[in-house]
Amino acid sequence: MTMGKVLYYTLVDLARNRSVLAFAALLFVVAEGLFLVEGEAIKAVLSLVQVVLALVPLVALVFTVVYTYGAQEFTQLLAVQPIGRSAILGGRMLALGLSFLVALLFGLGLPLTVHAPGGTSLVLLVAAVLLAWVFLALGTLIALVNRDKARGVGTALAAWAGAVLVYDALLMALLFAFSDRPVEPFVLPVAALNPIDLARIAVTIQVDLAAMMGYSGAVYKKLLGSGPGIGAALAFMLLWVAWPTVLAFRVFRSKDL
Amino acid sequence: MDSITFKGVGKRYRKLWALRDVDAGFHTGEVVMVIGPNGSGKTTFIKCLLGLVRPTSGAIHVNGERIGDDPAYRHRIGYMPQISQFPPALTIGQLLDMMRDVRGLAPERTDDGLVEDLGLSTQLQKRLGTLSGGTMQKVSAVLAFRSAPDILVMDEPTAGLDPLSARTVLGRAAAVRERGGTVLITSHLMEEVEALADRVAYLQDGTLRFLLPLREILARTGTDRLSAALPLMLADPR
Repeated sequence: MTMGKVLYYTLVDLARNRSVLAFAALLFVVAEGLFLVEGEAIKAVLSLVQVVLALVPLVALVFTVVYTYGAQEFTQLLAVQPIGRSAILGGRMLALGLSFLVALLFGLGLPLTVHAPGGTSLVLLVAAVLLAWVFLALGTLIALVNRDKARGVGTALAAWAGAVLVYDALLMALLFAFSDRPVEPFVLPVAALNPIDLARIAVTIQVDLAAMMGYSGAVYKKLLGSGPGIGAALAFMLLWVAWPTVLAFRVFRSKDL
Repeated sequence: MDSITFKGVGKRYRKLWALRDVDAGFHTGEVVMVIGPNGSGKTTFIKCLLGLVRPTSGAIHVNGERIGDDPAYRHRIGYMPQISQFPPALTIGQLLDMMRDVRGLAPERTDDGLVEDLGLSTQLQKRLGTLSGGTMQKVSAVLAFRSAPDILVMDEPTAGLDPLSARTVLGRAAAVRERGGTVLITSHLMEEVEALADRVAYLQDGTLRFLLPLREILARTGTDRLSAALPLMLADPR
């Protein structure tokens, strides 16, 4: 019950803040623009995949980190009331998660439904929402662990860069180094180490474009099949939502405010 | 009767002990003035009681129950922090409504007399982000008193308040004592709070040097003011 109240008032605050609204509008404009420019709907969807994979994690991560630091005083104010720590954190994370969901439904879901209804759009939307939640959970954890804001933002950006740039390079190096051995079974867990790659795998298996699937996507499809491959990728993403969330609650429960 | 007891309470931040082995009991119907130099552990002491900070060692009991994960004991506590920061986009009125809702306080059981007394009733539409430091302190005072708390904790309550408002707030604190509450006040400005204090707790480097009735301190040192008595006490606390 108290968690519901924290959720409600955080939602009110987020609505006033307008940043999430601006993000939804930006996505909407980009999506509509792509559908306008590209002749074929599927081409626009594929361009949109790239935009989502780059933009959604970054925005969700940075916004969550900045918001968490900004809410420090409010958190203190709540923490001296008869409210448990879990209710405070749970309410705030739910509010952020809900507003990301609404932003993506509007900014991404609406254009997709209008211009390219179908399985690909659905998988892309689900993957985008999961990506936002993964980086919401990671951002919360990072902001709770680092007392210093500059360090927290830096860590968040490093984590994002790691997922986008470093990880690909490492995977490539790994594949190259073990190119004479059967590495395929190992690709499943190794790809699961990067939530952004998981989102890409899920969407590209659905599209079934070998050119975009990449090596890890191809392995997922080959070893698991299309449906289970997508399912596995999305399930791994859920794990990526779960573990930082569990850790964040554990940290927050005994954190000095 | 003790409403709050500290047993061997210590708090370590990394290598620094901000609070060390504090044993103390605070009674119902008294005002205790908590003093000490900057960095002596006053705020950590208060934060431990409020559950903002987890003690590294020891236990704190409020009304006989050890405080831990269960936040229910805070229903009885009113807290006025040293510095208040509120969500800047909210108005004073919205904040008051929200905090009442969050606390689960029924409107008819909410004591908002201070809103009137501190001259805030005409400013309820003002956004919190636009308020002066003094006005923020007034809002903070209203929040501390409105649930008619048994335990009132105030961290430098008079800092930033004009003398008239400070007197109003301290008068309210005295009323909490009259109806059997426990009041803890940290303060640098001794005279104002001294007039109210029943006992004085002195913290230094995280250690409780003494916790004694003000009258006894004055009698023992042969002075009539705490500011004069303090150096003598510190030279010979026994």
